[in-house]
Amino acid sequence: MANTSGMFLSVIGGAALVLGTAYGWTSRNYRASELDVLTDRLAQLERSNADLAAKADETSALEARLSELETELAAALQAAEDAKQAAMQPVAAVADPVLQPEPDPVIADATGLEFGDPSRGEQVFAQCRSCHQIGQGAEDRIGPHLNGIFGRRAGVHDGFRYSDDMAMMGADGLTWEIETLNAYLENPKALVSRTRMNFAGLKDPQERSDILAYLRQFSASPQNIPEAAPTAQAREVELSPEVLAIVGDTDYGEYLASECKTCHQQDGSDRGIPSITHWPTEDFVVAMHAYKRQIRPHPVMQMMAARLSDEEIAALAAYFAEAE
Amino acid sequence: MKLNRRAFVGTGIAAATLSAPMVHAASHGKPKVVVVGGGAGGATAARYIAKDSAGEIDVTLIEPTRSYYTCFFSNLYLGGFWDLENLSHSYGKLASDYGINVVHDWATGVDRDAKTVSLAGGGAVPYDRLILSPGIDFVEGSVPGWDLSAQNAMPHAYKGGSQTELLKTQIMAMPEGGTYVMVAPPNPYRCPPGPYERISMVAHQLKANNPTAKIIIADPKEKFSKQGLFEEGWQKHYPGMITRIGPDFGGENVTVDPAAMTVDIDGEVVKADVVNVIPAQKAGLICDAAGLTEGNWAPVDGHTMVSRLDENIHILGDATNQGDMPKSGFSANSQAKVAAMAVRGALTGSRVFPAKFSNTCWSLIATDDGVKVGAAYEPNDEKIASVSSFVSQTGEDAALRKATYEESIGWYEGITADMFG
Repeated sequence: MANTSGMFLSVIGGAALVLGTAYGWTSRNYRASELDVLTDRLAQLERSNADLAAKADETSALEARLSELETELAAALQAAEDAKQAAMQPVAAVADPVLQPEPDPVIADATGLEFGDPSRGEQVFAQCRSCHQIGQGAEDRIGPHLNGIFGRRAGVHDGFRYSDDMAMMGADGLTWEIETLNAYLENPKALVSRTRMNFAGLKDPQERSDILAYLRQFSASPQNIPEAAPTAQAREVELSPEVLAIVGDTDYGEYLASECKTCHQQDGSDRGIPSITHWPTEDFVVAMHAYKRQIRPHPVMQMMAARLSDEEIAALAAYFAEAE
Repeated sequence: MKLNRRAFVGTGIAAATLSAPMVHAASHGKPKVVVVGGGAGGATAARYIAKDSAGEIDVTLIEPTRSYYTCFFSNLYLGGFWDLENLSHSYGKLASDYGINVVHDWATGVDRDAKTVSLAGGGAVPYDRLILSPGIDFVEGSVPGWDLSAQNAMPHAYKGGSQTELLKTQIMAMPEGGTYVMVAPPNPYRCPPGPYERISMVAHQLKANNPTAKIIIADPKEKFSKQGLFEEGWQKHYPGMITRIGPDFGGENVTVDPAAMTVDIDGEVVKADVVNVIPAQKAGLICDAAGLTEGNWAPVDGHTMVSRLDENIHILGDATNQGDMPKSGFSANSQAKVAAMAVRGALTGSRVFPAKFSNTCWSLIATDDGVKVGAAYEPNDEKIASVSSFVSQTGEDAALRKATYEESIGWYEGITADMFG
């Protein structure tokens, strides 16, 4: 578009020049307007030159960035491989400093935020795994899967039931980039006030940099997402297929749930007490059995779960999965 | 509620076995439920019946106050952690969102034969099922020298609202180095840890504003709820400020003189600046007026919270004698759900499941120092019996105590949403 109008201006400018020369007469005003047109044209050409130079710079910057990313990915893979090798070596090899993965921070953009060390980020991510899966075969659980999170519009991932606030923020234009993810991870409710994500936040900037580096590995090339642990991860408690297969009676679940709702608010509010609305049934069942067997520590929940039968847990899970 | 095949079959069976009430409902129009008292028991019961019957039952809630001030968490207001507005709730949503007929009047009596509730403002409201959740009143003469006419000089602040505000004003006006005396109640009473959380909150307030002030508790009880936790906290946060005089030292032998502002504890006269008299308690007056009490409380069957003296009246919360559950807002809310289910089952044939109850009481000892005690309950033919319980431990770390406090704030938001919609 810019090029077309530039050419158009240049034709008019050329015509004015020819006319002025051929007839040899010009009013003062005509000369002035001719000069204006020529000045405009000059400015236009200068701008085009500058644009071309900028684009060339941008291209080389992008090329450099791509090469950095490739280097970083290779380094990360190497580090992971080194760590794996180190883990398999006897003690002496682990002590070898050469085998320790080196953090390789990369300046992400002009905001000054940095991607940290993805292997440390993987460790930090451990606390997210009870709700979020990532890697090949990752599925939505209590939280949405996080493959391809970078660049994704907030609250729009198909098939996941977001809080109204998250959906609204997405509709208003919130997109997950390094700055927005950094802010959300630091204090989720400061960014999305009634998000269902029941997480206090990562206060350590280094941990956020590391986890962002880890998450980005699963966004950069969606067709080539590396394997990650959670899909192969064991459940918190081993439950027989029969227990997992119980189809809950939602009417009974609704009555039993009235006891839960004294503390757990149905609308997803979760100040001090987590929201349990819309949990996938299997996660709900596993969590309740983990309380019942006192693997999860909370005394109120241990007490509540202790007297629930397998059928009652299934009924509650069925009710809360669909509760409005 | 989604209707699946199983639910449909279940409802069909229940309706067939309970056809008599259905006929009753058909011949008299919609069945009528009247709820007296809009607190943790009554508001919850009214809301659950209206919500779950989806228009099949007419629900009337009779409650004199237009703004309900919770008694639970009023101690946080005394301690300066909460504003009075945090404790105030309106009945607007119960009327607008749930179609409940909210009547702001005093229920003065029950005609159990005619099945009507009489109102102080005149008239009577008919019911098919009545739910009474009137809370507590005080036993006359339990603290010699004190009666309701003395509640301005010596507030009880054991019902939410103006009394809470009055006590706070008196605490803030105490002279430097002044004395606060609490006359603690004998068992059973509303909110077992309540008096001792209040002591903690008064101490917190005085430590900041009047650090040489003293607190004395005259207590008729040998032991009290969460005693180890409170005594540990008082030693830690308010050393030297609080003296408790138990029954061994005459704490049960107390007389007050509201005109002189003195408290006589077993012959020793204490001049006080604030006297907080929490008298012995009994079921809200309407239970006695309706002839539903034995002794100070109204006996109920824990399977449905129905009165043992009238099969058409259910009684909830502090007013009841039900067994092992403490008199608390949480208990009343828990009992309300069982009663709501039983009442709906009786009037519309909806499914009825076995009753389960629970309770947790959180208390704040100092900033971010929260503790809790709780239990689960199930009914038998005798009573509602405790089946398991837990309590916070002494020596817990600060992070756990802070999380416990934050959890209590979450509970407050949860239960008030559960009561008022």
